[in-house]
Amino acid sequence: MPRYSQLYDAILKGDLKTAVSTTQEALAKGADPENLVAESMVPAMDEVGRRFEANEYFVPELMIAARAMKGALEILRPLLTQKGAKPTGRIVIGTVKGDLHDIGKNLVASMLEGGGFEVIDLGINVSPQQFVEAVKRTNAEMVGLSALLTTTMPSMRTIVQAFKDAGLRDRVKIMIGGAPITQEYANEIGADAFGENARTAVTLARQLMGVC
Amino acid sequence: MNSRERFFAFLEGRQTDHLVLMPITMMFAAEHAGVRYGDYARDHRVLVKAQLNIAEKFGFDYVSCISDPAREAADCGAAIQYFDDQPPAIDEASALLMDKTALARLQVPDPLGGGRMHDRVQAAALFKERAGRDKVIEGWVEGPCAEGADLRGINNLMLDFFDDPAFVRDLFEFVIEMELRFARDQLDAGADLIGVGDAAASLVGPQLYEEFVWPFEKKLVEGLHGMGARVRLHICGNTWPLLEGMGRLGCEIVDLDYPSPMGEGRQKMGPGQALLGNLNPVAILRNGAAEQVTHSVAECHRQAGERFIVGAGCEVPRGTPPGNILALRDYARSHAPRLSP
Repeated sequence: MPRYSQLYDAILKGDLKTAVSTTQEALAKGADPENLVAESMVPAMDEVGRRFEANEYFVPELMIAARAMKGALEILRPLLTQKGAKPTGRIVIGTVKGDLHDIGKNLVASMLEGGGFEVIDLGINVSPQQFVEAVKRTNAEMVGLSALLTTTMPSMRTIVQAFKDAGLRDRVKIMIGGAPITQEYANEIGADAFGENARTAVTLARQLMGVC
Repeated sequence: MNSRERFFAFLEGRQTDHLVLMPITMMFAAEHAGVRYGDYARDHRVLVKAQLNIAEKFGFDYVSCISDPAREAADCGAAIQYFDDQPPAIDEASALLMDKTALARLQVPDPLGGGRMHDRVQAAALFKERAGRDKVIEGWVEGPCAEGADLRGINNLMLDFFDDPAFVRDLFEFVIEMELRFARDQLDAGADLIGVGDAAASLVGPQLYEEFVWPFEKKLVEGLHGMGARVRLHICGNTWPLLEGMGRLGCEIVDLDYPSPMGEGRQKMGPGQALLGNLNPVAILRNGAAEQVTHSVAECHRQAGERFIVGAGCEVPRGTPPGNILALRDYARSHAPRLSP
């Protein structure tokens, strides 16, 4: 049973209003923001991911849960920064150049955020240079690339090469995903991991960060 | 039998000389015609020429007006981004119905009004002129969830199911009115069959599907049947949790995407439902060898039984080796349905 069960339940149900109010109430009673994240929010999003993988939750349920989680996190973020709390890892994420599809990328970003990662979301139609610049600027340890089209997935290879050219390839782990992507393709272009769905992406990201 | 005779005999449950072959091709067709996809999607003359070329080259039993899901949204006034060599895409950041109140002011566009819908109607007419005696002509419309997502933004729509159910129903009502008018004009121009693409429906679970999506898909299918159209339903993605509902829609053909096992489709939809598909388009059709294609289509056939049409799970990707499509063709040509006595 999570320590802050009301917050845990609110996230599972996708109840934004209750997630926000219970977070505020817990803080008012002296709760530690890091504990709220670690003991309620992360377990709640892990359970959301489990239900998603088990076909108990689908995209709408996952999205409202993520929205509730983000509502609570918005309140906690300044406090976490103030305390110098460290995220599980920092990841730059985006949909590759020429591709405007973002729902898959958004789901992965939300699940990563719910998993304790700091996510820098560059949005859609992101060029190799933008990925490289974002890693330089934020010191992110990981990069997540999304593509829905077979026509845009070759851009992933270009991005991997751009990190090599910038001398950053050894510093970042690159994870890729999207409907046409396969493990074979990840191997072929030299990516570090292929995430088949949002939950797997979190598991892989934790493995790549050496935290599980 | 020519393609039309084969197709209609199959739908009517009569014996055919061999299996019907109907894979979805768009970028693959443009690639083989040596044209850029941007031109294929924007000019019906390019599309028709490329479809006829590929149907001839690979022995497909049909030609299709399908190109991208943005035609209706474009004519409604949505912001569309066009590319030289890939499908047009909808810019969700400036979705037409970002402000939900705009739905009340939205007018159903005239499918013959000179826009992208009209271009598709012209494709159907040109197919009729060039191949109407031999090939089956497929028109195409978007389903309620897919078109709703195109107009509202898919991220917004997913939240609307919980936040504003009444809006979702109003939006889907608008979509069905628009798609039926669009289908009517494609049928009048020469289409025999209407494909309904409802990609976004695979993102919702069975509960939301039954409550929101299915009733409008049913209304669309009934409206199409009322016009005398045959209907092919294609929902991209994993439809495994929705199969039973999809079977109750009464479509002549359910075209399954590859994540849903064909055998599950047969079990959930019963022996009479014609099932089409469903090879993995990337892993098998594009990246596999011809022998794997043959093995996979045989497995689909085995699971589907006799009410089976040969096709891929989704669009045949650009870069698919021609030999793999010939393997599909050869399988179709070397197998005939065995009708029950």
